[in-house]
Amino acid sequence: MAAIRTEGLCKRYGDTLALDSLGLEVAEGEVYGYLGPNGAGKTTTIRLLLGLHRPSGGRAELFGVDCWRDPVESHRRVAYVAGEPFLWPSLTGEETLEFLARLHGGTDRTYRDLLVDRFALETSKKVRALSKGNRQKVQLIAALATRADLLLLDEPTSGLDPLMEMAFRASIVEAKERGQSVFLSSHILSEVEAVCDRVGILRAGRLVDEGTLEQLRHLSAQTVEVTFAGPVPDLGPLPGVTVAPMGPAGLRLEVSGSIAPVIAALADTPVASLFSREPSLEEIFLHHYDDGDSRGNG
Amino acid sequence: MATVAATGSARSAGSRQARTAVSRRTLRDSRVRTISFAYLFAAVAFIQPISYRHTYPTVSDRLSFAHAFGANKAVVLFYGKAYDLLTVGGYSAWRVGGTLSLFAAVFGLLAAVRAMRAEEDSGRAELVLAGVIGRRSEYVAAIGAIATAILLLWFAAFAGSVAGGLAVGGSAYLALAAVSPAAVFVGVGAVASQLAPNRRVALELGGAVIALAFLLRVIADTSSGAGWLRWITPLGWAEELRPFTGAIPLVLLLPVAVSVGLVAAAARIYLGRDIGSGVLSARDTAPARLALLSSPTQQALRGERTSLLVWLSSVGLFAAVVGVISDSISSAGISKQLDQTLSKLGSGSVLTPKGYMGFSFLFFVLVVSLFACSQIAAARHEEAEQRLETLLALPVGRRRWLGGRLALALGAAAAISLTAGVLAWAGARSQGVSVSLATMIGAGANCLPPAVLFLGLAALAYAAVPRAAAGIAYGLVAVAFLWQLFGALLGLPKWLVDVTPFAHLGLVPAQSFDAAGAAVMVALGVVVALGAVWLFERRDLIGS
Repeated sequence: MAAIRTEGLCKRYGDTLALDSLGLEVAEGEVYGYLGPNGAGKTTTIRLLLGLHRPSGGRAELFGVDCWRDPVESHRRVAYVAGEPFLWPSLTGEETLEFLARLHGGTDRTYRDLLVDRFALETSKKVRALSKGNRQKVQLIAALATRADLLLLDEPTSGLDPLMEMAFRASIVEAKERGQSVFLSSHILSEVEAVCDRVGILRAGRLVDEGTLEQLRHLSAQTVEVTFAGPVPDLGPLPGVTVAPMGPAGLRLEVSGSIAPVIAALADTPVASLFSREPSLEEIFLHHYDDGDSRGNG
Repeated sequence: MATVAATGSARSAGSRQARTAVSRRTLRDSRVRTISFAYLFAAVAFIQPISYRHTYPTVSDRLSFAHAFGANKAVVLFYGKAYDLLTVGGYSAWRVGGTLSLFAAVFGLLAAVRAMRAEEDSGRAELVLAGVIGRRSEYVAAIGAIATAILLLWFAAFAGSVAGGLAVGGSAYLALAAVSPAAVFVGVGAVASQLAPNRRVALELGGAVIALAFLLRVIADTSSGAGWLRWITPLGWAEELRPFTGAIPLVLLLPVAVSVGLVAAAARIYLGRDIGSGVLSARDTAPARLALLSSPTQQALRGERTSLLVWLSSVGLFAAVVGVISDSISSAGISKQLDQTLSKLGSGSVLTPKGYMGFSFLFFVLVVSLFACSQIAAARHEEAEQRLETLLALPVGRRRWLGGRLALALGAAAAISLTAGVLAWAGARSQGVSVSLATMIGAGANCLPPAVLFLGLAALAYAAVPRAAAGIAYGLVAVAFLWQLFGALLGLPKWLVDVTPFAHLGLVPAQSFDAAGAAVMVALGVVVALGAVWLFERRDLIGS
């Protein structure tokens, strides 16, 4: 059974179509990265998955339970971290953790203590006296400590410093090792690249690309940078390759598809150095957003 | 040099612009409250002279009224000391001044704390101060905006009483007396905003000062030999200004001097402290207390605890006072005809201890209904602040959450009602008034049916139009109450007066309990509340 499954999920707010027939499937044990710029519909997706907002069309299920029709049942195996920590100002950190644990119906206390140490949270402080990052830690610890089968995380590391970001990644790796599923909505690409098995890219309410990092890379352009010992030769037109000058004696080639024609074209030229790299997630991501309205070739 | 001068003038133009922007924002932020208060001021100032002429047309009516009420402690407690009850002006000054001065005090406090503390709590003040405006200018701009709002209230009261047929000069002065406490309590609110670590504590501090001022006025007006106390409370100064009854304008120096002093003192503290914290610091760490955390309702009770205690103790105290003074009511010298006219004011006969308590419990009915609305406002606040998302993302159902909030509201309303009944009984017994505990518990319980109805309506407003829910809920209660009060007074046809739920109350202990009316109210309330839950389960959560 899939941890998350949506079919034709739509959400309309007045005249705006915030989410356009989204079809998602996240398997049990999978860590899924959900990428998109601000306003792409990431938070809307999560609100629909939690049954906080009502779908305008289509349906969403968590572990086979309908999110809107039976929210309570669908939340039993889920823990959620919101992008903004909305907690009760007059409760202390410890009281908050206890409250959220009781409402969830139990938590792994030993693991919670470990997480409190790992994230260096001062639990006796009242929430109103905590900085945004520290309030975010309270939420994260509460969610992670439940050991829920599915973690729904909406930009969970906003407000965390780099050390805590590392602690977060370590905790996600632990969750994965225990077979938990993770749905990580984010716009921090390095984070997604580091922990996710599969990535979906959302733009203006539509899923424009989805796959493992290898698949996405394969479909996207690869960068080849060449410098020459002599004058820069004219390589002529090559299919699927765009050529741009790089410095006085170099070329930067963006290659989509096979690299073989490029190698063949370079065979008779005085190549001094050749450097090829796969696109980073950032490049894949930007590739989808630089295209304006076209959906790109990915 | 020329460039320097030019930049200098550009800079001062920039900060002037910023100052205007802050003033405008302060006015805009509070426009709903300001306009509601202005309506209230105009309505009260208009209605009093009209109703006096209407109810007591002849000198003999006025004489017997003055005789019965001029010295009646129960009435003086509510409205303050009367200097002349034989003229329209004197009566209006008493009724208008007595009620509006208290409202003016509340307005001043709310306006000051809103502008000076709530802005800071929300973090918006930081944003403003990070711009081209200094603290001094920001403070002056806020005070300027509040002064404008008070001027509007003055004009409303003035226009109302002129329209009610009072002389122009006297009306202007009466309006001035009525709003004078607003200026003083702007100062109190400003100082409280500097001392308190957050908005809530600032309001509590200011509220305590208002309560103290009111208490001092009550003691001064009702106890012989304590008249001098009137000189140490802003509400007493409003009386001592004596509109229409031998005005003493020199007394105005007192509120003016005190408010200027307080505003200046607050400014001094403000310029020297850290933004975001008060002089009294809040306790930020506490040992964990894990009781009342097992359900959203328990946690709501925990969060509302302080406010519940304030409601309970203030209603309880007031009920005890009502009980104690019910004894001082005497029917001697009141003609049957006059008593009947008075009953039309919506209170029934007030000339016996039971009658007086029945009249007073109409106000407790109002208060408990308003409390029910405040609970729905608190529920909406939880959603607006998006903490409800945190809750509903857990295995917590919407029905369980809203049902729990409604049950909590009902339980607390019952506690407040019964406290009022029991303490009024205790107060009355302490003076030897013969009234049974069961009757007074009944008087308390009689507050509940309308509260159930308004709780249901407020919940429905919350489910249907969450952002406007609190306004609608409070508005419904206020309209229904005023409808009853003025509908009866202006002699509207019975079917029209009967539109308001308050017309279907038996005012226990003065009248017998209206079981049919109560049953209808409760049944309607329950049906509407069920509808609210049904609707709430079907809508999106909506942030602020």
